[in-house]
Amino acid sequence: MDIVPQLIANSIIAGATYALITLGFNLIYGTTKFFNLAHGVVAAAGAYAVFALTKVFSIPINIIFACAIGIVFAGFLGWALDRMIFMPLRKRKASNMVLMVASLGAFTAIQASIALFFTSQFQTLETDIMGSRAYEIFGAVITQTQVIIIVCGLVVITLLGLIAKYTLFGKAVSAIRDDEEVARIVGINTDRIIGKVFFIGSAIAGLTGILIGFDTGIEPTMGMNLLLKGTIAAIIGGVGSLYGGFLGAFVLGFAENFGIWKISGEWKDAIAFVVLIVFLLLRPQGIVKK
Amino acid sequence: MSSIDDSLAVRIIKGHMNTTGRAIIWVVVLGIVAWAGYALLGSQPASPTGDTETATSTPISAEPIKIGFMGPLSGDAAVYGEPFRNMVDLAINEINAAGGINGAQLTPIYEDAKCNGKDGANAAQKLINADGVKVIIGGFCSSESLAAIPIAEAGQVVLFSPGSSSPDLTGKSRFYSRDYPSDATQGKVLADAAYNIKKWKNVVMIQEQSDYPLGIYNAFSSSFEPLGGKKVAKEEFPTTTTDFRSMLTKLKAMKPDALFINTQTPANAERILKQLKDLKWMPRIIVNDALSGDPKTVETNKTVLEGALAAEFGVDLNNAKFQSMTMAYKTKYGVDVPYQSYAQTEYDAVYIIRDALLAVGNDGAKITDWLKTVKDWDGASGKVTIGADGDRVGGHVLKIIKAGKTELYAMPTAAPATSTKQ
Repeated sequence: MDIVPQLIANSIIAGATYALITLGFNLIYGTTKFFNLAHGVVAAAGAYAVFALTKVFSIPINIIFACAIGIVFAGFLGWALDRMIFMPLRKRKASNMVLMVASLGAFTAIQASIALFFTSQFQTLETDIMGSRAYEIFGAVITQTQVIIIVCGLVVITLLGLIAKYTLFGKAVSAIRDDEEVARIVGINTDRIIGKVFFIGSAIAGLTGILIGFDTGIEPTMGMNLLLKGTIAAIIGGVGSLYGGFLGAFVLGFAENFGIWKISGEWKDAIAFVVLIVFLLLRPQGIVKK
Repeated sequence: MSSIDDSLAVRIIKGHMNTTGRAIIWVVVLGIVAWAGYALLGSQPASPTGDTETATSTPISAEPIKIGFMGPLSGDAAVYGEPFRNMVDLAINEINAAGGINGAQLTPIYEDAKCNGKDGANAAQKLINADGVKVIIGGFCSSESLAAIPIAEAGQVVLFSPGSSSPDLTGKSRFYSRDYPSDATQGKVLADAAYNIKKWKNVVMIQEQSDYPLGIYNAFSSSFEPLGGKKVAKEEFPTTTTDFRSMLTKLKAMKPDALFINTQTPANAERILKQLKDLKWMPRIIVNDALSGDPKTVETNKTVLEGALAAEFGVDLNNAKFQSMTMAYKTKYGVDVPYQSYAQTEYDAVYIIRDALLAVGNDGAKITDWLKTVKDWDGASGKVTIGADGDRVGGHVLKIIKAGKTELYAMPTAAPATSTKQ
């Protein structure tokens, strides 16, 4: 079976993409306990920031630098959403359902603004510098961009793991995760910590959007599909769990790409949802229990 | 959760709100909603019916005549829908400036059908039932037209499409006709070229799940397989797909002579082309006219697409009407008219409808029968003849992509053989 190496490569690429979006999503969910639907559109916003810098205004800057600006922009967007929408709602003791609906509103508004400014046409971030090189491993072809996606996935989870374990910030986050009120009572500035969590989680989303922009291209509506896969991966792996989401993303990537080996590709999304339902029925807490 | 239940129960008990009291409130609320709904919907059709009555009973009237439009104005397919709307607007302005229909101005009403059946049906419902139009120019996508037909039939409204090409639409309804040819000929021309000219025996296809690409698949495979070609293996994908790698990996493993890229819009074709490059697979390619008719995509992907076959409903650049149409478009909108093979039929569709209105008045049933008598009508797209089945007579010609341009295919043996293809 000479297509197996390529299928494995495709699964890892898809898994790494899902992992990146899930990591940011899970970080925010674990701390605030609500499904932040705006997470998907933050990824798109990061990608479009790079698109604006490099393609629309064609500012002659280093592409890596443009990406860094895109990532920081996405981070600030997430932070601003928390400051302007989610924090006031939390102060008013709004339920998680209200927060989720508010995030859906933010999602729709930002997506529509992107479409207004950049049209709803399909674009690609690809330039001559990146993505042109490709490597062959055991008969599987993988491009430079895809290698970067996989490396980014590994780097991000390692960093998050280290931060959670060894820094004061990480400990504060896990305190809020356990009980926000108690955390506040013992003197943790929860608003500031949650703001930082939004910044980091959204910056990771921005990074994901940018990498996808280089790999398969961008569209204002790219966020929804991305978010959907991210949440499926999160649920499979264990919602709110750092390593669980990472594992779930790769389970999803392999299930999707090997699932269509013998049947037609039109079933790819259906397979993702079947995996989701199986997990919801048999192991609702996910692979890794929080 | 339990606290919410508690408080609700407590409130109900404390307020002594018994069930009859609540029922009365609900009845009152329902009454208000029903009244408001009646006031809104009941008053709306009053003015359109008034309009159409005067228009039908007295065709020579200064009352404006409403013309419906449905096409994709948002989403991936908006790349077609926006020029479509511009073109209709241009033609209607020209007609109005020249005095309209015996003095009556044409008023276009544009609806976004989003290139799918659901929104196509919604757009048709709105145009027919709320606006009371008797003629709709559209849909553009085949899915829009297929969904709108039953609604148009019920309302006795003409659907006249300048872009839908699915073979499933042929003879579908008395109220549907088109001045764009069916894809039956597109599939046939491509199958013929692949098997007889290129000697490709094994063609595989990646196809978007939508009516237009499906029509091309059916037409292609039903011509290719009887010629002696291998059964066309295909991978289908839903429109929202962005990752085609594993589908392409499977198709590559079949070692085909050529890959047929059959998408609804250039956006998905562009993603597929990029991922082909990523997979280092450089197959011989066949494309449909959604891709070959998009100069930007063809230009940006010229290395992958070099030598790709396509079949298009051609344009005649020497046609004086076509030239004046492209000039008028450029003057009005400041850009060259995109998707010229559709532009010409869009422009002609408005003028054919004008002639129909002049001949039989604003009456759906009369216009739709009149359209089927159109013969050698001189327009920007050449001589238009519409058959009894509602399809335009004539069809697609074989093209090839060379150096980022779609051009006529020159037969390898005899040099000027291209004209015989038509």
